[in-house]
Amino acid sequence: MAEQFIGKASEFKDGDRQIVRIGEDEIGIFRHEGEFYAYSNFCLHQGGPACEGLTIANVEERLRPDKTSMGLHFTNDMNFVCPWHGYEYDMKTGCHVKDKSVRLRKYDVVTKGNDVYVVA
Amino acid sequence: MSSPKTTKAKAAKPAAKLVGAAGKPASDEGMSAKDKANFIKAMMEGLKPAAAAEPAKKVEILRKISAPVPVARKSNPTSDDALKLAAALDAKFAGGDFEALTPEATQALMAALCKLYAANMEAGDKFPVVKDRFAVTGTDAMILCGALLKAVDLQVFELGMWQSWSGV
Repeated sequence: MAEQFIGKASEFKDGDRQIVRIGEDEIGIFRHEGEFYAYSNFCLHQGGPACEGLTIANVEERLRPDKTSMGLHFTNDMNFVCPWHGYEYDMKTGCHVKDKSVRLRKYDVVTKGNDVYVVA
Repeated sequence: MSSPKTTKAKAAKPAAKLVGAAGKPASDEGMSAKDKANFIKAMMEGLKPAAAAEPAKKVEILRKISAPVPVARKSNPTSDDALKLAAALDAKFAGGDFEALTPEATQALMAALCKLYAANMEAGDKFPVVKDRFAVTGTDAMILCGALLKAVDLQVFELGMWQSWSGV
C-alpha cells in the first residue's frame, strides 16, 4: 500500500467527488465538511457504482412524548446512495445505514499541504 | 574443550579488527578463511541496491462529480415576504403545529407555487424545486407528488410517459 497522488485539495469544493482507478481498485473520494473520505466504488449489494449516486442526509422520525409522529426530518449526518438499488452508506464510516456489519472498504486519505493522497 | 562463552569471545575478536574503532581500513592480518568470506559477503550485501520499492500504480481519474451549484436569484419584496412566511411556517412545524395554515390557505399557496415553478421550468429558467436536500424528505415529496397527480386526475404511468416524451 502506497500513497497515491489524487489531486490538489483546492480543486475539491465541499460536496465534490472524484472517482479514480488505482491499479485494480475503483475508488470514490468525497470531500464533505472539509474532510476527505475514500471508499471502494463497488457496492456490496450487487457491485454497482456505490459512490456515484445521491448524497443525502440521514432521515429520522421525531416523536412526541406520547409517541405520535412529528414527521420525518433530516439529520446532519450525510449518506451516499448507490444509484443501482439504493444501498445507503454513512459518509464518515462507509457502513450501511441499516446494517452496520455491511461496510464498504475504506481507504485512508492523507493531505500534505495542498496535495491529496489515497493510500491504496 | 572450551566453553561456548570462550568460543564466542574468540570469534568476536577478528570482527573487532575488521571494523576498527578508529575507522581504519580492515586488515586481513590474522583473518581466517571463514572471516574473509564473511567480510566479502558483508561487503557485497552492502553494495546491493535497496529492496525494490513497490512499483507506482497508475492513477486514472474516471469521473469528477461536482457539488450542485446554488442558483442565484435577485431579491425582491415578494420574495422577501415569501421567505418570511416560509420561515414562520417552518418554525411552527418544528414546534409540532400542523395547523398554522387553513386548508384553503395551503391550497392557494400550493397552487400558486406549483404554477409559478412550472412556468419557470417551461421558460427555461431551471432550478431545483427545493434549495437543498435538507428541505424535504423523500416521503414528503412522494406524498405531495401523489396528491398533486390525484388532484389533476393523473396516474403515475402518465407522468412517466410525459417525462420520457418531453425530456423534463
